[in-house]
Amino acid sequence: MTSTVTGFANGNLAVEARNMHVYYGPFRAVKDVSLKIKTHAITAFIGPSGCGKSTVLRSFNRMNDLVATARVEGEILYHGNNIYSNDVDPVEIRRRIGMVFQKPNPFPKTIYENVAWGARINSYKGDMDELVESSLRQAALWNEVKDKLQESGYSLSGGQQQRLCIARTIAVKPDIILMDEPTSALDPVATLRIEELIQELKKNYTIIIVTHNMQQAARASDFTAFYNMDEDRAGYLVEYSGTNELFTNPKNELTEQYITGRFG
Amino acid sequence: MSQQTSYPEGSALKGQITSRQRRGSAWQLAFQVSTIIGIIALIALLYNITNQAFGLVAIQNKVEPSSLVLALEEERLLSAENTVTSEDDNELVAGIASDANAIGFFGYAYYQQNSDQLKLLTVDGIAPTAESVQNETYGLVRPLYLYTTADVLAQNQAANIFLNYYLTHINEEIEDVGYFATSDAQLSEARAAWTAASGLNLQPGQWAAINPEGITGQLSVVGSSTLFPVNERIAERLAADGFAATVNLANVGSTAGLRAFCEEGTADIAAASRPITSAEFEACRENDLRPIEIQIGTDALAIVTSPENSFTTNVTQQELRTLFDTATTWADANEAWPNNPVARYIPGADSGTLDFFAETVFPKDLANLSKETLVELLTANISVGLGRRLEREQRFYDDRLVFDDPDLFAEACASDNPAAGCTMPARDQENVYELLLQEVVAPDVVSAWSLMDSLFARDEVEAFVATEYPNAELTFRSWLTLDFITSPQSSTPEFAGVRTAIMGSLWVVAITVFFSFPIGVGAAIYLEEYASDTFINRTIQTNINNLAGVPSIIYGMLGLAIFVRTLEPLTSGALFGVGDGTTANGRTILSAGLTLGLLILPVIIIAAQEAIRAVPHSLRQAGMALGATKWQTIWAHVLPSALPGILTGTILAISRAIGETAPLVVVGASTLIFVDPNSPFSKFTTLPIQIYQWTARPQAEFRNIAAAAILVLLVLLLSLNASAILLRNRYARRA
Repeated sequence: MTSTVTGFANGNLAVEARNMHVYYGPFRAVKDVSLKIKTHAITAFIGPSGCGKSTVLRSFNRMNDLVATARVEGEILYHGNNIYSNDVDPVEIRRRIGMVFQKPNPFPKTIYENVAWGARINSYKGDMDELVESSLRQAALWNEVKDKLQESGYSLSGGQQQRLCIARTIAVKPDIILMDEPTSALDPVATLRIEELIQELKKNYTIIIVTHNMQQAARASDFTAFYNMDEDRAGYLVEYSGTNELFTNPKNELTEQYITGRFG
Repeated sequence: MSQQTSYPEGSALKGQITSRQRRGSAWQLAFQVSTIIGIIALIALLYNITNQAFGLVAIQNKVEPSSLVLALEEERLLSAENTVTSEDDNELVAGIASDANAIGFFGYAYYQQNSDQLKLLTVDGIAPTAESVQNETYGLVRPLYLYTTADVLAQNQAANIFLNYYLTHINEEIEDVGYFATSDAQLSEARAAWTAASGLNLQPGQWAAINPEGITGQLSVVGSSTLFPVNERIAERLAADGFAATVNLANVGSTAGLRAFCEEGTADIAAASRPITSAEFEACRENDLRPIEIQIGTDALAIVTSPENSFTTNVTQQELRTLFDTATTWADANEAWPNNPVARYIPGADSGTLDFFAETVFPKDLANLSKETLVELLTANISVGLGRRLEREQRFYDDRLVFDDPDLFAEACASDNPAAGCTMPARDQENVYELLLQEVVAPDVVSAWSLMDSLFARDEVEAFVATEYPNAELTFRSWLTLDFITSPQSSTPEFAGVRTAIMGSLWVVAITVFFSFPIGVGAAIYLEEYASDTFINRTIQTNINNLAGVPSIIYGMLGLAIFVRTLEPLTSGALFGVGDGTTANGRTILSAGLTLGLLILPVIIIAAQEAIRAVPHSLRQAGMALGATKWQTIWAHVLPSALPGILTGTILAISRAIGETAPLVVVGASTLIFVDPNSPFSKFTTLPIQIYQWTARPQAEFRNIAAAAILVLLVLLLSLNASAILLRNRYARRA
């Protein structure tokens, strides 16, 4: 693995994977991934289909636990704690490390409830209306939905739904937001709006984004990690560095081939 | 990398494409045909039920309300003050003639014989004349009848020819006797009846008088004293014309005459000064006799005073009623009359004339009688035992007892289980009237017809009723009425209702739902969301799938063994100190509800599992990614999304539970109970069991109410389903 991302102070370390392997049953999907994610930065995961980038992302908030056969080896350190240690409650981890999915998946409830529910179950005590408004504002959705908060979340367009999902994640006040190809189901205009939004969110949150779209990674991220899969179809980290560096001066031959479109 | 598929060309291609199209059309046709067959079957079912549930019925009273009132009126007339009663009409004539304040009444014939001693009053300004009697403007009239049967006429030539002669010459004789001739229309009707019965091949309207000369044999004419002189004259005239048969005339009164005719079979022809009653007609029917009714004239009642009465020549019916009822002086009835006491002269209790008078002057409706009068009628017509039972159900008067012994009643009220009558307020007039109708008048459906017959063969039905049940009333009856729904079970179909069964069904279904819905959905959530894929869990799943197909009677056996027998202290309520442990044992609503709950539990589990499985995984991920626990996610998102599907499965399961009969029979549903269930520990019956039980009864009317109950069951089922569907749509819309 080639990594040049070592140069930030520990105070800026959001989460770190150390020698992480992920298995689905007997199949090893991810092999020996180690990387550090910087706070208040956007880190993009790119790579061809099946290279395990989504699996790595899901490992950061233990969403892989939902797959009955999934198993993680190695460590993921969050503020010095291994989130896979036996005494850690994954529910609490997911509250701090939120996630936005590939397909917009609002709850079949009102827009207001979509945003408020996460905060409510996490025993939020403050003014709920205020929280909903500020979350929607942060997600750049407030102006579009402020008059129809009691309508179903499904009444929104795809891009709006995805921003609603972001707003609902923000409402829980997480540290880190994981985004799993958040724009792949959206049209270019909506995609652009989400990208702008992500830039805004960087100020307050650490963002890790999986994307199929190399331009998006190049445009929108500060760091980029490139994954590939080996002959056993296990994904591994090929190269991880500053986005500019990776796209202009890739250290690894595979990276160069991938970003120039010769495979993937 | 792939092989080139070679498709045929030209006509072979066309053949392939068209045969595919033909196969498609054939399948479509098959589906359409089976759908149509299904719809036809459904329509046939509904047709059958509707046909039974509505239709004409012939209702016949055991006792006519008018005869009940009549007896009461006569008693009152006879016991009134200032009244002279005598069996000897001459005595009455003499009495009236000598008393200026007297009033009385006679048959018109008798008045005519004594018209020199009496003064005839007009009634409502109309005097009894041939015309006013025939067109019934004169109010106080009664028809005179002969009764015979077609068999008598066919078998007894003498009787046949006697009646022919009678109908030919009656109008020449009857006015001489003092009665009024019947109208030509009525006479030709009577002649047509005779023609049909005697088998002469005559055109309608044609009348052939037969020469009586040389006819031998014998016949008997028995009955009314009123008609006796008419019969006598006809017989004499016949004999003069050469009729050689023996005519036995008996003057015994209408009632005795009809008894001889119907019950004893000693009369060929019965003479009556009133129509035959339903009881008498029934007696005839029992002996296979179908009486033919022939009106041969009309009698009128003459209201008379003394010739010395100078103040009136007319009396209205209202004045007449007052004079023979509340009046003590003439002025009480009409202020223009003098203030002299009324002297009433009436014939004795056995006289047909008294019946005639009471019936025509005091026509009263039972429903309008006072409560006291109704109680009196009830007292006179029911057994003391029944009266005592009714009185213990609800008293007639708050301050006294009618049937029961006060000491026994007090004893019954002091017992641990006092009768309802001890505490309930007394019955009101309406209640007593209903009781009288039910216990004494007892209208009985003697025959019922289907809706189709009622609509399209009404003439035949009417003709049938006219010959078979002339006293019965033919009405269109919907067996499905509000009364039917709100009345409790009864052993007479006319009064039976389904309230008890509806309540039973609702109670049982409620228990079933409260038991199986939470457990079923809970089990489904566990199996879908929590259970890991182990051997035990797979076995459980397989068993649930198999249990959904187990015959319901097996569940009945299970319920009997577990809930009724083993858990009896629980299901009878004895454990909680409630319920009637001695009678219900474990055969309670609770046992039935739990048994049906077990029966539908697998269905609910499977439906709920399917619905939960169909909730998109992304929804669970979304919930979990917000830091929600698994249960929070399931409760807030998975269940609401799955609810429409869960409810659909539950609705189907509940529909099945409502319609179940077999397991409930095994668990021990009561087939005949009169008490509404009021707790889970009550005895019960349900609608399907009630229907099953009614269809097994021999009386035809039970099949009509069974059909009505089926309609109730269908409506109950549809409305329960509809409300569940509404509920489901509410949830589906919210999503």
